[in-house]
Amino acid sequence: MNKLLYLAKRLVLGVPVVLFGLTMTFLILYLSPFDPMTAILGRDADPETARQVAVALGIRYPDGTPVPLWIQYKNFLVDTITFNFGQSWVVTRGQSVGTLVWERMPATVWLGFWSVVIALLVGIPLGLYAGLRSNTWGDYTASFGGIVWRAMPNFWLAVMLAGLLSAGGALSFYRGFLIPTEVIGTSNALKNMLGSVALGGISVPVPNFYNWAVAFKWILPAALVLGSSSMGNEVRIGRTAVLESINAPYIETAKAKGLSTKTIIGKHVARNAMIPLLPVIMGEFYLLIGGSLLVELVFGIRGMGNLYLSAIFASDVPIIGALTYVFILILVFFNIAQDIAYTVIDPRIGLEGGTE
Amino acid sequence: MCATVTDTTDERDLRDETTLRDRVLANPMPALTWSAVALGLLALEFGAFLAGVLLVLDSALVGVSALVEVTVGLFSQAGAKTVLGFQQSASGVLDGFRSTANSLPTLLSRETIPNQGYQTSADGAWENTFMGLEPGIAWAIRATLVYVYAGAIAYWAFRGWDVFRTHYRNADWSPRDDVVDRLRDHRWAQFGIIVVLVFTTMALFAPALGPTTVGQNIESPYSHEIQYFDSESGEVETAFVGDANFNSKSKGNGNQNVGPMSYDDFGRFHPFGTLTNGRDLFTFIAMGARISLTVSALSIIFAGLIAIIMSLASAYYKGIVDLATILAADGITSIPQLLLLLMVAMAFQGHWLAGVFNGGFLLALVFGATSWPGLWRAVRGPALQVSEEEWIDAARSFGQRPSVTMRKHMLPYVLPYLLIYGSMSVGSIVIALSALSFIGSGLGINPPTPAWGRAISMGREYVSTQSWHIAFIPGTMIVVLVTGLNAFGDGIRDAIDPESEGGAEEEAAAGGTAG
Repeated sequence: MNKLLYLAKRLVLGVPVVLFGLTMTFLILYLSPFDPMTAILGRDADPETARQVAVALGIRYPDGTPVPLWIQYKNFLVDTITFNFGQSWVVTRGQSVGTLVWERMPATVWLGFWSVVIALLVGIPLGLYAGLRSNTWGDYTASFGGIVWRAMPNFWLAVMLAGLLSAGGALSFYRGFLIPTEVIGTSNALKNMLGSVALGGISVPVPNFYNWAVAFKWILPAALVLGSSSMGNEVRIGRTAVLESINAPYIETAKAKGLSTKTIIGKHVARNAMIPLLPVIMGEFYLLIGGSLLVELVFGIRGMGNLYLSAIFASDVPIIGALTYVFILILVFFNIAQDIAYTVIDPRIGLEGGTE
Repeated sequence: MCATVTDTTDERDLRDETTLRDRVLANPMPALTWSAVALGLLALEFGAFLAGVLLVLDSALVGVSALVEVTVGLFSQAGAKTVLGFQQSASGVLDGFRSTANSLPTLLSRETIPNQGYQTSADGAWENTFMGLEPGIAWAIRATLVYVYAGAIAYWAFRGWDVFRTHYRNADWSPRDDVVDRLRDHRWAQFGIIVVLVFTTMALFAPALGPTTVGQNIESPYSHEIQYFDSESGEVETAFVGDANFNSKSKGNGNQNVGPMSYDDFGRFHPFGTLTNGRDLFTFIAMGARISLTVSALSIIFAGLIAIIMSLASAYYKGIVDLATILAADGITSIPQLLLLLMVAMAFQGHWLAGVFNGGFLLALVFGATSWPGLWRAVRGPALQVSEEEWIDAARSFGQRPSVTMRKHMLPYVLPYLLIYGSMSVGSIVIALSALSFIGSGLGINPPTPAWGRAISMGREYVSTQSWHIAFIPGTMIVVLVTGLNAFGDGIRDAIDPESEGGAEEEAAAGGTAG
């Protein structure tokens, strides 16, 4: 019960964050020198078309009088929050923004998921290893690698990797390795993750494992790049955290009790080292959303990040607003998930106060 | 190393009451020696130094008047026009001085050690180069001298502090001595300082460092001519730089490549090879370093200023001011920074502000406006803490003005924290800046002004061809610079605040925006 209450509290606290973010977006899109009308129609627009567009955008009333700013603000907030995003104006004219975003979502989610998982699977063990063998050559290599890895811009890493994977590059064999896949562009396998099997006249969806494998292999390079900066962070923090907890008195006690090294590391060191790692893992989502824009651009993945960039190039206000809202929602969701995870890992972190 | 002056009580009293001027006059020798060498070093590069000062003045003038203009423009268009007119005429006058300053001879200029020349026959001697050497060697000599000079200047500046500390400071010891001493055996920080110095030198000496100039090679290649030995006709011929560039492209396939450390068909040396349009990559990168470092420095200064004002005001007044600050910061941080940057950059496209400093000024403003919440969060704690102290209460009851209290009694306590977090987040600004230039489409630094991200974007298709250098070298530059900046930040933190350990928050600050 207590936990549910805590969850509810966190959810309520998320509401203002969403509101601030949307207000910020509104301020930039509607109050800056930026003029959506010129962006959509060009400079010499037919006045009648201009009037229609202005009405559709909610800038003017049908009789031509301008809509007061606060009503625009209210409409923007209400429409966005209720997922009523309107139509795209430039990128694909006339298409509903909701559908557009929904279509682009799977690629980004797939990319984000694997980049987090890969970063965790590589970064944390490396960090633990470096911490447990501090001041050996292995530690130095891992730490230094982590530091340099972190300093690499995602987009540059993506450019280099995509170049090496392309025809004639040193890694071009990857595309034909085990299962043939593409690495640039969007794989069709993503759309066909579920096959269907006829079972007594009804078709039942079952996962198509071949396509899962193809989709995984297709996303692997991009996910590796996207996860890179978080990986560097995890190595560094993991190392410090292990060093801190390994010298703690309770480890001494555990040793005195005669626990095996394996148990000590698994149950006490690793678990306590996870506490400082959590914000880093969650902070990754900030990095991921920013990074996904560039990685999707370089790898030509048709995801939300790519859509956002096209919307920015074309000044397509409805898409920008909608995607910003979706990204804010994702961030708020993971922030809440982080606080919940804290309470699971470390029961001492109070359900009452919570963390910030 | 520490002060060795033997103290009698009288002497100490005397020293405590004297000004720096008196102390120098009482014992002028060390100061004179130091200044003589410093003046000598300066004289070697006087023209460039003067030009640099004028450039900074000019930039400050344009920047400040741009801000004034925006503010005035809110109220009256005519007022804004007047400001703009003043800005243009004043900037014109400074430009005149600058060209005079630039014409003064300096040791490290391309006129003293020229590297652009031509051969008179296939294996003949080089004309117009330094002592008839090969252009590559002449360039290497000049580049080495630039770095030796920069090293000497840096060392001498440090010596100056040492001389001051040993001979002229009132106190025998100050906490700053400890800070420096801690840096003395901090190898990681020293690596960072060296990297930062190397890149600062590259930025400051960009015009002298490149094998050619931005004006000649990149901005107006069709208003400059070069002479070269044409092996087909067997004679020395003249060509526009633009035409020479056209025939020196690096496009990966066949003979279309001028790699690092090689000559093109026009006898021009390219330390880092050429770009896809035949321009010299080293010149491009050196000028790009100037842009990157200036914009990053400006951004962090803007962000730091906003953060410090916000944190002091909210800690002093609390209540509604504090709440408003929190709301603003939360609004900004709820959107990932790159999205915010892109949105603002798009909103200001075509606006005249986007033309100031080739778009760099607007970018610095945007970075400042979007990255202050991170810094603010870092200094908010210390600011709140100090605002609880009794002396703040005392100052208030004593009737001191709030601004004075904040500046005199709160700022000194908060500043070190700002320095630490600020230096740790510069790296992420460098990355984000190059990311914007990489995306291009009017979002980053305006072409043709060099920007590292644009070079990477140009080389995208050629990574696994023989023209790999186009994307690889600028990227490596970013990695080295950001690693150095992070090391520098770590060093500052360890030196100022030795108790602290790299915590999660700092890492997040350093990781900042993903590029």
